[in-house]
Amino acid sequence: MFIKDTIAISPQNTYNNDIFSSTIKQLYGNKFLAIEPEYTGIIKPNQLRRMGRSLRMGIGCALPLLRNYCNVDGIIIGSSEGGLEDCIKFLNQIKDYEEGMLTPTNFVQSTPNALAGQLALLTSNNSYNTTHVHKGLAFENALIDAKILLLENKVKRLLVGGVEEISNYNFNIEKSAGQFKDKECSSSQLIYSNTKGTVCGEGSTMFILESLTGNNNIKINDIQTITFPTEEELHNTAINILKRNNLKIDHIDILIFGMNGDIRSDYFYYRMMEQLFVNQSVLMYKNLVGEYPTSSAFALYLAYNILLKQYVPKDIIFRQEAKLKYNNILIYNHYKGIQHSFILVTKENC
Amino acid sequence: MNIYVTGIGCVSSIGNNVIDNIKSLREKITGLKKPIFFDSKYASEFYFGEVNIDNSSLIKELGLKNEKGLTRTDLLSMKAFDEAVRCANLSEKEISSIDTAFISASTVGGMCMTDQLYNDANLISNTKDFLSSYSCSAHTMKICKKYQMKGISDTINTACSSSANSIMFGSKLIRSGLVKRAIVGGVDSLAKYTVNGFNSLQILSKDRCTPFDINRKGLNIGEGAAYLIIESEDVIKDKTCLAKISGYGNSNDAFHASSMSDNAIGITKAIINAIDIAGIKPDDIDYINAHGTGTLNNDFVELVGLKNVFNNNIPPFSSTKSYTGHTLGAAGAIEGIYSIFSLLHGELYPNLNFKTPIPDFNLSPITKNIQNANIKFVMSNSYGFSGNCTSLIFERINNVY
Repeated sequence: MFIKDTIAISPQNTYNNDIFSSTIKQLYGNKFLAIEPEYTGIIKPNQLRRMGRSLRMGIGCALPLLRNYCNVDGIIIGSSEGGLEDCIKFLNQIKDYEEGMLTPTNFVQSTPNALAGQLALLTSNNSYNTTHVHKGLAFENALIDAKILLLENKVKRLLVGGVEEISNYNFNIEKSAGQFKDKECSSSQLIYSNTKGTVCGEGSTMFILESLTGNNNIKINDIQTITFPTEEELHNTAINILKRNNLKIDHIDILIFGMNGDIRSDYFYYRMMEQLFVNQSVLMYKNLVGEYPTSSAFALYLAYNILLKQYVPKDIIFRQEAKLKYNNILIYNHYKGIQHSFILVTKENC
Repeated sequence: MNIYVTGIGCVSSIGNNVIDNIKSLREKITGLKKPIFFDSKYASEFYFGEVNIDNSSLIKELGLKNEKGLTRTDLLSMKAFDEAVRCANLSEKEISSIDTAFISASTVGGMCMTDQLYNDANLISNTKDFLSSYSCSAHTMKICKKYQMKGISDTINTACSSSANSIMFGSKLIRSGLVKRAIVGGVDSLAKYTVNGFNSLQILSKDRCTPFDINRKGLNIGEGAAYLIIESEDVIKDKTCLAKISGYGNSNDAFHASSMSDNAIGITKAIINAIDIAGIKPDDIDYINAHGTGTLNNDFVELVGLKNVFNNNIPPFSSTKSYTGHTLGAAGAIEGIYSIFSLLHGELYPNLNFKTPIPDFNLSPITKNIQNANIKFVMSNSYGFSGNCTSLIFERINNVY
């Protein structure tokens, strides 16, 4: 399947903006918050006021795409938690009003499928519509779903995306569980911090995927996930995905890896680049957006832009190897060292 | 490619296993009552479909004494999962194989521990046991861990059609050749969260629900879990197969966040897509296990959808939510298994509590247990908030009945 277009709202200036033309924004803290647009002309002000952040970030990216590429044949969203802020607001009401008469707005908006449903509603789209919520593989499963749907040959164009919001409550729960660093951290130090934990990120990344090649020939060749692997199984998975696509290790020009600065689980990435992929440039991306379950959608956004523009901004280079042309990018990400995924992205030469 | 069901497992308010569920359906025994274990202000006010076993007994039965952070959602899903893999005789190696997908579904996840979540979210908890237990995917991850499952794993949340979509996604994964088999289904347990949510929408009934009746007053929330082992024709060998999954259709109604369109666009399209994938005609459907929640909106619109597709030849239909209540994320899988019961045993289960049809249609669901029915195709409908409509078609295997 081919990537026709993409829009992202992230902690970087990605919205209505070429991420590579402006300088990368330096971030500091334990939450890397998304830079949200005004949503003028996309969401009506009265609706916007009542809308949770993941819902509005999702609509903010998806609706312009759906308007530009009318008639999508399916809407597939990956979101681990959906509208968490709404969810816990409703929970707090239950507790604070001792299960009294509550207003349903927060409840209805809190379900993770609210975004895909709203997008269908806003564009009167009755096609295939689903929401994957499987933590660190929610977006990958959305991609697998899309791949199968496009292979069935009945459909041509899909909207596929990943979205996650930072809510105070979820931050509290994950912080208690030891997911985030005790001290605040800058984006330039994050990956090299050598301490436990990461920083909390968020964002919405939406794609138009098509079965036929468009102008830019950028293709998602393959997606492979594996859970609870041994390191040997993990490395074999990486080799198999290349084999299956008739590629050798040297054909990979760039690796985009998901290091997040957590000393407890970054070793998967380091061993992979030291033992398997020794001659490739390695790029990082969580210094730009922080860690969240559907962050691989942002890695795919970067891969698309790098292949399109044949340019790599220096702030995301972890290890540099000279290359004249970029054709094949392998994204490898894991969530908490348990859920691992590979996405192979290729620029097909005409 | 044919997709076969080789194992089933389910737990609901009408039975802690497959056999007990069939027995209750046959004997018209409802599971709707005032709950014993569920702690909520509304426990005495509404009827619920509560599973008749407490958490500590579940823990004991599953042999999980030393594990921390287990929620009722986790326990119910593990119970149904274990029964399904035993039924299909899957080895541990087959379960953990990269060729086996595990696609679960839930809408409330670990939020059944509403008070504990409140404490953790507001940093006033004195235990850290449940920090990774709340997400919709938490039960899936725990089962993946227990069996060291390495293949494609997923959790779907499309509200009340969640597990119908997990059956559909698993079937598509097999048909595409990405996996050889899939364990598909879903779970939800009673939670203050959902009960208060549905109550705020004023669609809970104070009496036992009466699907498709003119005087229906709303739904009863239930809990439960169900899983199906589905396998590609390439790997079943000489296994006993219970049914085939022949069709699936998914459509969004694109009308309203919490109600369905009067002309039933999504419902109609999901049914037509499922019939199309099955390669059959509407006339071939012999029985419909309806979504039939018992709300004013759902039952009316579902009948509009059935009219749209079947005209005046609507097949016999009933809603088994009159036994189990609406089990939300588990409903599609539980009712999928009931559909398989119908195919396996040639019997149709009645819609309890029905008296008077809705005048616009003058259509009555089945109200008696029908035996020796010659049925080949059963359709199961599931509809969720945000317009998510899914229909599944199960097919009888000729050599079984």
